[in-house]
Amino acid sequence: MDAEEPRRGKTGHMSPTDNELMEQVRDGRVERLAVLFERYQTMLYNFFLRLTGDRAASEDLVQEVFMRVLKYRAGYMGDSRFNVWLFQIARNAHVDHLRKRKAALPLDERFAETPGREPRPETVYEDGREAELVRRALDRLPAPKREILVLFRFQDLKLREIAEITGVQVGTVKAQVHRALKDLGRIYLELRQGRAS
Amino acid sequence: MTCDKIQEKFADYLTGDLDETGRRDVREHILGCAACRQDLEDLTVIWAKLGVLPEEQPGGGLRHRFYTMLEEYKDGLVAERKAARAEAGRGRRAWLTFQRPAFAASFSAVLLVAGAAAGWLAGGGSALKRATLSRELQDMRQQVALSLLSRPSATERIQGVGYSAAVKNPNETTLAALFKAVDGDPNPNVRLAAVDALYLFRDRPGVRESLVKSLAVQTYPLVQVALIDFLVEVREARAADALKALIEGGDLTPEVKTRAEQGLKQIGI
Repeated sequence: MDAEEPRRGKTGHMSPTDNELMEQVRDGRVERLAVLFERYQTMLYNFFLRLTGDRAASEDLVQEVFMRVLKYRAGYMGDSRFNVWLFQIARNAHVDHLRKRKAALPLDERFAETPGREPRPETVYEDGREAELVRRALDRLPAPKREILVLFRFQDLKLREIAEITGVQVGTVKAQVHRALKDLGRIYLELRQGRAS
Repeated sequence: MTCDKIQEKFADYLTGDLDETGRRDVREHILGCAACRQDLEDLTVIWAKLGVLPEEQPGGGLRHRFYTMLEEYKDGLVAERKAARAEAGRGRRAWLTFQRPAFAASFSAVLLVAGAAAGWLAGGGSALKRATLSRELQDMRQQVALSLLSRPSATERIQGVGYSAAVKNPNETTLAALFKAVDGDPNPNVRLAAVDALYLFRDRPGVRESLVKSLAVQTYPLVQVALIDFLVEVREARAADALKALIEGGDLTPEVKTRAEQGLKQIGI
């Protein structure tokens, strides 16, 4: 397992590592969770936003993750990087969210390939047409492939950490990333050609 | 090396995590294999394109909700420990789990009042009547906010901040209570929530000036960062001197100092 790098400030002062902070939370200093929240809220929010395309649901999910961190703090072992544990929780929270969402959908929509199929307002990402096209392509990937790509591309996680989070072999993650990227590239091209024609 | 073996290396190749031997293997293979060369090119293109997706910031409400939840949890832990001690003293098994009766009671009362008022509003009636009721609802929210902000429990004071944030156009008394919370509340989470609430009223006269002054009195790093974020977000030019003083004061954590220095540059843009 990786030893977590301490964060060193300009004056040489060492900030506590994520792991040290979480151990303090586990041991009863729950107010230390505030520092972890400040470090991870944006990363988690974007993780959920890229999976759901829904800002309000993404904020709810971030809140849910930190509630679960408090709920399960006693079981924190600190034998992996903190963010591996955090993303295991985040992933479970997302699965539960999808389950609830599916239960609330009419029967004929429950078996759609991925959630959030409906076109989103242009304002979701306002960084130009290219970003919009990439986002739409990502949306069209089946949920498991989208999740693997989002974990790998945006969350600063290594392949073996993703394997630990998702509970599969590293070789499987490599193959999944490869297939997901190929599919994404194909969908992206289709969308671009569709728009050009 | 077979195509399968080479393609297994592509993911690490894209992130730059492949060692020199691995990179050499890939380079040598794609020189002689057009299919893998094309595959890697396609992957590299879409990998780069994913980088155009911008990162978004969550709304300030998330931070507010988190700190409220944390306060509730802490209050619950304290109550649980006290109860466990009391139970142990009486020789009985500790049975309490995390509860938040005080918060639940006060919040339920608030919801009841707000729900009733919302019901009146939704119920129709004349435009004048609806406007009057809307005003009454706003007044009621402000009264609840002021009342909660003066309570001894930090959880209730955070709820008070939340209530003041729900007021469309708060009066001077409510704004003053929020300024007081930012500068003087003993609990940093209440101070933090008050900064977030004031962001909603950033265009009201006096709000920005008050938060510029607040920079000089805050010592808790997360509140300092929240204030800097606020002032940078609204591009408050008057904050430049306060930020300089803060940096030169030298009594900052490295994170806050870095943020203050970044903020100073951003305000100067």
